[in-house]
Amino acid sequence: MRYLLLTLSFFVGTSLMCFAENVTNLDKKERGSFQYQDSTKSGTSKSKSKTASKEVKDTLKIRAYQSPKDLSVLPAVSLQQYIKGRFAGVDVQEPSGEPGTLQNMFIRGSAVPLLNKKALYNAQPLVILDGIPLITEHPFAFDIQQYQDNRIGTATNLFSSIDMDNIASVEVLANVEAIARYGPQAVNGVIVLKTIAADTVKRITFSTYFGIAPRPNVTTINGNYENQFRQRFYDTYTTNGRYSNNEVYPVYLSDSLSNRYFGASNWNDLYYRNALVYSVNASITGGNDRANFRFSLGNMQNQGVADETALNRYSTRFNINMRPIKWLQFSAMVNANRVERDRNRNLRDRYQQVNYFPDLSSPLSPDKEVYAKYLSQYDNGFDDNKTNIFNGYANIGIDLGAVKFNSNLSVDYNEGYRDIFYPRSLMQNTSYASNYYGFNQRFLFSNSATFRKRVNKKDNLFLELGQSFQWDTYKYNNAFAYKGSSDFIKINLLVSDPNRGDYLLPRAFPKELVFRYLDRTRSNLVSGFFNGSYSFNDKYTFSTVLRLDGSSNAQPTSRWFFSPTFSADWNVKKDLLTKIDEISSLNFKIGVGRIGRLNSYDNYSQGPQYMSNVGYTGNLTVPGYNAFAVLTRPYNFGWVGYGIPWSYSDQLNTQIAVGLFKNRLNVDATFYTKTEKSQLVAVPGGSEYGYNEFIKDGMSINNKGVDVNVSGQVIKGENLTWTSSISFNLNRNRLLALPDNLQELEIENRLLKVGEPVDSYWLLQNKGIYTADADVPVVNGVARTYKGITLKAGDPNWSDLNNDNKIDNNDKVLQGHALPIMVGGFDNSFQYKSWSFNFNFYYNIGRDIINENMANRFDFINREGQSNIGSVKEITYWEKTGDYNKYPLYNPWSTVLPYRTDQDLFLEDGSFVKLRTISLGYDLTKILKDKVKVRRMYVYTTVNNLFKITKYTGKDPELVNYDGYDSGYGQPIPKTFTLGIKLEL
Amino acid sequence: MRKIILFGFAFLFVFSSCNKMLEVDSVRTVGEKNMWNTLEDSRGALMGVYALTRSALIDNNAYWIYGDVRSGDFASPVRQDLNAVINNSLNATFPTVEALTDWTRWYAAINAANLYIEHIPEIEEKDLRYTPSSMRLDIAQARALRAFAYFYMVRIWGDVPFIIASHDGEFKKQGREDKDKILAWAEKELNEAAKDLPYTYSDGDPQQLGNYYNENLARWSGALFRKTSAWGILAHIAAWQGDYAGVSKYSKLLMDNYGKSRIDYVGVDELTKPNGFFDGKKFSHILAFNSDYGHQDGSSTGHIEELTLAEPVVNKKTPDIYMVKDSILNIFNESDDQRFGLDTIGNPRNTAYFTNYNGRYPIFSKIKVIQGGNRDPNFRYFTSACVFTRLEDIVLLRAEALAALGEIQGAKDALNIVRLRRGLKVYDVLINGDLINAIFQERRRELMGEGQRWYDLVRYNKIKGTNSRFTTLIKDGGIYWPISTKILNENNLLTQNPYWE
Repeated sequence: MRYLLLTLSFFVGTSLMCFAENVTNLDKKERGSFQYQDSTKSGTSKSKSKTASKEVKDTLKIRAYQSPKDLSVLPAVSLQQYIKGRFAGVDVQEPSGEPGTLQNMFIRGSAVPLLNKKALYNAQPLVILDGIPLITEHPFAFDIQQYQDNRIGTATNLFSSIDMDNIASVEVLANVEAIARYGPQAVNGVIVLKTIAADTVKRITFSTYFGIAPRPNVTTINGNYENQFRQRFYDTYTTNGRYSNNEVYPVYLSDSLSNRYFGASNWNDLYYRNALVYSVNASITGGNDRANFRFSLGNMQNQGVADETALNRYSTRFNINMRPIKWLQFSAMVNANRVERDRNRNLRDRYQQVNYFPDLSSPLSPDKEVYAKYLSQYDNGFDDNKTNIFNGYANIGIDLGAVKFNSNLSVDYNEGYRDIFYPRSLMQNTSYASNYYGFNQRFLFSNSATFRKRVNKKDNLFLELGQSFQWDTYKYNNAFAYKGSSDFIKINLLVSDPNRGDYLLPRAFPKELVFRYLDRTRSNLVSGFFNGSYSFNDKYTFSTVLRLDGSSNAQPTSRWFFSPTFSADWNVKKDLLTKIDEISSLNFKIGVGRIGRLNSYDNYSQGPQYMSNVGYTGNLTVPGYNAFAVLTRPYNFGWVGYGIPWSYSDQLNTQIAVGLFKNRLNVDATFYTKTEKSQLVAVPGGSEYGYNEFIKDGMSINNKGVDVNVSGQVIKGENLTWTSSISFNLNRNRLLALPDNLQELEIENRLLKVGEPVDSYWLLQNKGIYTADADVPVVNGVARTYKGITLKAGDPNWSDLNNDNKIDNNDKVLQGHALPIMVGGFDNSFQYKSWSFNFNFYYNIGRDIINENMANRFDFINREGQSNIGSVKEITYWEKTGDYNKYPLYNPWSTVLPYRTDQDLFLEDGSFVKLRTISLGYDLTKILKDKVKVRRMYVYTTVNNLFKITKYTGKDPELVNYDGYDSGYGQPIPKTFTLGIKLEL
Repeated sequence: MRKIILFGFAFLFVFSSCNKMLEVDSVRTVGEKNMWNTLEDSRGALMGVYALTRSALIDNNAYWIYGDVRSGDFASPVRQDLNAVINNSLNATFPTVEALTDWTRWYAAINAANLYIEHIPEIEEKDLRYTPSSMRLDIAQARALRAFAYFYMVRIWGDVPFIIASHDGEFKKQGREDKDKILAWAEKELNEAAKDLPYTYSDGDPQQLGNYYNENLARWSGALFRKTSAWGILAHIAAWQGDYAGVSKYSKLLMDNYGKSRIDYVGVDELTKPNGFFDGKKFSHILAFNSDYGHQDGSSTGHIEELTLAEPVVNKKTPDIYMVKDSILNIFNESDDQRFGLDTIGNPRNTAYFTNYNGRYPIFSKIKVIQGGNRDPNFRYFTSACVFTRLEDIVLLRAEALAALGEIQGAKDALNIVRLRRGLKVYDVLINGDLINAIFQERRRELMGEGQRWYDLVRYNKIKGTNSRFTTLIKDGGIYWPISTKILNENNLLTQNPYWE
């Protein structure tokens, strides 16, 4: 019967081995008594919970995670914000302070050149919540988007669903031996989140904070200012100081008597606000040895300081452990969240969504009253963004002594809805309705068997065999319609009478102007692995992970990929230095291995293929011709041939960790090198066969660097302790190879060159201005040209590096870095009696920014009055940032586009240091303990983003796109002041 | 121990079934093995060639920027990129201008046609519904479209790489082929295609019996390549080469047979009304690529209206291009002209071609197909077809040919066919001047905004040779566009047009 039950548990498949998490649970039992994690100690208990696989690395990775006790006091919205500056080796980009927007993470640099948004998706680390590898959005929606600033749909950061009050530990894994277990999805690194476990002790917790983010101060300008700015160009470059007859001077700048543009510029009163933030979370645990649970509820609201943006999250979580029989343990978790987001009202985002540009000759007025009237139009419409996120698992563990089996079924599902109605008044009498629904779904079924044995009383042997099956589905439906018959019908109603000839045709919108798109893709992953380790006398440990992964997105001829990893760990202290007291610990470790990289698109598995891909610039989604669907080669996507192998990453890391003076000073340094191989890259080519590019394998990129963490107890007194820690990552990336032994590759305005960094800008060197035609160098009677255009007075003096008197791409230089060379944090904690005080710095060094926002302002001639993306002016157009006097006065009419962004004129040092948080707390437990029945009570206050030090002249060096361009669209990251309390009964 | 063995087996068992799990047929893309099997695949692939040709023509409004804007007849108040084209600064670095130097989209259409011609016999073998006669017809269309694409590219870039096989997966780099050789090939191709093409589809044509792909006459109307389309292109190819005997021959064929394709002349009212000639697909489109409103093929871009229309026709302050008043008066210099003419006190007699003549920007509104032809100014969603040639064009081409060949009476007759239909009196040398000038003037008026003017200018100056600047331009190859630097970088066998080096 027992065997039958066991076998069933395997085949029925309601369970899985869920990697580290479940092993951990079983291990608790091994320590003697069957007890679940104590949530009060959860922050630290991790290091004590040992698994064989962890044994190897825990010793060295002491500081790889932080206590969420510290993290949960922050008024952060997303996981990315929580971990920013807290972990060596993790670079977090926060391109906007708007709550709930997408943020990017890079662990030890980007393994992929960030050439476009799709690439960005492929560079993100894997987040694992209680053993569930979380599914994220798929970039395939970009295929139908003319503009890539926002993905269609909610574009909500899925990691804003993580309620830090439920999280027991956050751990960043970057070493190859640590990530190997998680397979090819983990190739960019892993962030492991563990939730607070169920508990036998009946306990109620309550935590909350309230806060305010005061309105930012900005310098506003009006039409007069802009006029004066432009006048200088007219004075210099037109004969009579004004525009020619054929030229149009913008109407809005022509009438200086108009209050609309020349009056008060006080729009900021409405655009910016004092924002409120709050969060509340309550939980209850209870049960006994045989069955116990934890249940929690939470709500968080976070307002942005700009444009009435906000995020509202409800979260609930339930987990349960049962042990009906001594050797059988069952546990399950359900986590459900809902995230609602009030998005910004940028014109750009709206027009991109609508895919239509109305007349843009008059921008929004900087006058508060006019602006208020405009904003009130939004009240007749809506823009609802809702995301539901569920994840959960069921787990069965079987303990047969030395041998254990574990079986787990995990589900991760998230769905996003975006419903839009823009009334007619917002867009020249054309209303717009749109409904988006999309989901991402993952099922994971996994099993593992472990064997642990003590050999010769001193040595430990651990073996593990595991397998997993993963099914992913991504889907969206996107429908939109223009020109509704009335502003009162805000949804796309269909004729509902099946007997009518027009059944299911749109009723309120003309049927010719109702469009629908849907897309769906599936991918499966099958993995098997062997994990073994042997440790001699706790001094030397050797371990290995051998994996075999099969992916449906790999080509049939190379479905499977084998990846081995080895590591060795030497406890020097125990081995050689037992007598030296000053050195309390010294470990040395080396890991080497290979990890596969998955293809994100199923197109790559097909080889030559056909799609419906016949659109043109401005209308990418043309479905066919003469109302027939078409099938053609995906000329815009690129040629995919046969014989594409798996891409993979070869990694090596060595780590040294020293603890000195009874571990008062700890130094931990990891040197690593990661080489990506056989990476796919779109090689421009095939124009004579209709392709924009060939998708080819063979790109190789190396990231090399060091993670350093130094922490020390500066003061360790009876009453006062001061712990200080500094952590940083230094990273250098370099391109090692390109497909077909190419030495360089020009992709739009980027150059990938073998031996050079992949995140460098490719720029012309600006040396000033030609003030007269005679200044332009003449060689053999021919004046210097830019791409065939003769340079004239008022054009930039670009360096002619190859001395051919022709300025072109050969005169561009790779310089600067879009990603920081050094990123890190500096953290200080003070403890005085019941007081605690903490402050935390975050810094980026060796990073450069292209100030595109500034370039656009100077390029006003090409950005005026046209009905295209370039002419869109937001309300923030009336905000002044930066120093205009830094730039030469070029002839803005010149066809060489003097204010182009691919020159070093707009390149700035984007390094910064920010004081991210200051927190002060007081533990009331002692005072209250005698009077009230309370386990713990802690009150605190925090100040966030108080100041920054930077040379960058734009708004904020953080508010920059992934590619290093500051478009000016980032909303400010607010200074937030909070007051909070944590209570445990 | 028994337990362990048992579980070991369980392990192996589960693992062995997974190869199947990895066979996921994509639902968003069709692999080669699932492609060339059925009649529907043939239709999808053939319509794909049409769609790609349309994309190549109208991407970034290329058809009109090449044809109308470059001629300099229009002025642009706000768009510096269009001004660069008007001033023949074709190597300017504006994104639009750079995009117009890129021929990739044309080669996509050619590659799709090549693949179609190579693979279609597979369908004929596999699907019994697909008959050899359908196949002959479909191949003829693919060949005709391919020849058209080469002709179009030769007009823009001169010598271009000549590729008439898919070279799938190998993609050998090729240098540029002599333009005359390509045009000779195109002429031969089109002649052969013309033999297999019907006059109409689903209309009882002996060369195409029954409903073509099960759709009726109305569905196809002028959407596909017909015999007459092939002759129309042949006439244009001959004209571009200065082979006026050829023009005479092919235009004669068309003039004698246009009725069989249900083609006819178009009145001014039909030509210029919103739901008229340019809306949807019409038999009288000898060759056109439609963006039918009913088929949801419209767009706010890729149509002449995007460039020309503004207030009061649509809700946009300034047009991208407009015609300066002096030019209008210069071009429409006969007051009876139904297209545009002034009355004695200087007010426009009608607004068929221009709206807001007395405003700052006279709006060229001959073509204004908004949302399938309604007059809604608020939503610039255009659905006009990109018409390559129509009967008036062919007649005037014939007039030009006959005039060049010295058949003056025939030329006058042909010219008068159009003149009389536009309210003008018959051609009179004393009033209208030189015959060649009059013919080209008529073309300029009649085909304004139809992407013809630039090529007309080239032919005119080849005939006349009076404009030394233009003659030099022709001699130096400056009439061609530069080749995109992206393409030059990719393929070292290619060289830039010398004029743009």
